[in-house]
Amino acid sequence: MSKHLLNVYLVIVLLSPLTVHAQEFKLILKEHLFYPGEIVVPTNKKLKLLIENQDSTPEEFDSFDLNREKVLYPGRVSVIYIGPLSPGRYEFFGEFSPNTARGVVIVEEQDNADH
Amino acid sequence: MLITSLLMSINQLLPVVILWVLLHAIVKLSQKELVITLLAGLLSSFIYVHYAASISQLFDHRGVEFSQIALCGIMFVAALLACQQQRQGAVIAMISVMIVYLSHYMIYLISFWQTNETAQPLLIGTALGLGICFSFGTLFYFLLDGIKQRFSNLPLIILLAMNAAAKTLIALDLASQIDLANITASYVDWRGFLVENSELGRVLKALIGYEATPSKTAIWLYTIAMSVFLFISWLLSKRNSVKEPI
Repeated sequence: MSKHLLNVYLVIVLLSPLTVHAQEFKLILKEHLFYPGEIVVPTNKKLKLLIENQDSTPEEFDSFDLNREKVLYPGRVSVIYIGPLSPGRYEFFGEFSPNTARGVVIVEEQDNADH
Repeated sequence: MLITSLLMSINQLLPVVILWVLLHAIVKLSQKELVITLLAGLLSSFIYVHYAASISQLFDHRGVEFSQIALCGIMFVAALLACQQQRQGAVIAMISVMIVYLSHYMIYLISFWQTNETAQPLLIGTALGLGICFSFGTLFYFLLDGIKQRFSNLPLIILLAMNAAAKTLIALDLASQIDLANITASYVDWRGFLVENSELGRVLKALIGYEATPSKTAIWLYTIAMSVFLFISWLLSKRNSVKEPI
């Protein structure tokens, strides 16, 4: 019985990250620029970034502050989860075009954050 | 474009060079084995890049992350085997690290190679990056060789354990990136001390997985992965020494 309960507990623990609904934020990469360049998000929440690369070349979403790195293939939507984050500024950039493709995630208290 | 190519090539080649040198210092591979591993790594990276766009759409847009988590796991186990002087372990770890890092750079190269105005700075940046990484690798190899002669393999195995533990951090970040793992908010902030995108920060990141803003989960995972690596390595070497005939 205790073994059965343990198995159920393990399944719940393993699936728990998949059941949490993260707030979505959309980003577009066009002509090597991120739109919007600034997104304001709530503190200590898991967030889902949907990034659409509208350029004809790939780009790599990169952020030292967020510990994220993902190739954005042309004409496709990529999904990146971030957070929970403490209040502050978290910069991100396109590694293939770091001079133009830049943006920042600003983490603020719930009342000030965009939806 | 020149600076971007240079930085990109250093970022993606340095972790490969560091692991190659570290493994070669522990398990002395012959020149033939090194060339075959290099060719196999390049070919595997090309194949991975060729199918990467399709892989990225698998498992609800999480295919690339799953494949890279698997490669990080393979690197960890293969590095552990390499500590026991198993040449296959070293070769598998070398090929895996090439697929993970070189695939990013190959995508960059292939995308911008076709444009005339970007081809030249791309080539020069890549050549400079290769040269810097090769010089660093040569000096690093002689440093490791000197350490090995003076203190035996132990410091190298500790360094390899840290490097392998860093791969579990990459896997954790990838798992968190696709919502497979919950990571706590940043626990410490060392950005005032050393930022990750500084020269030293980049080298330490490639060498031991330095992170300027690690979470509590990352610190725990790194500590556990390194301890497990060292413990299993010690256990295996003890078992092998018992098996050896007197």
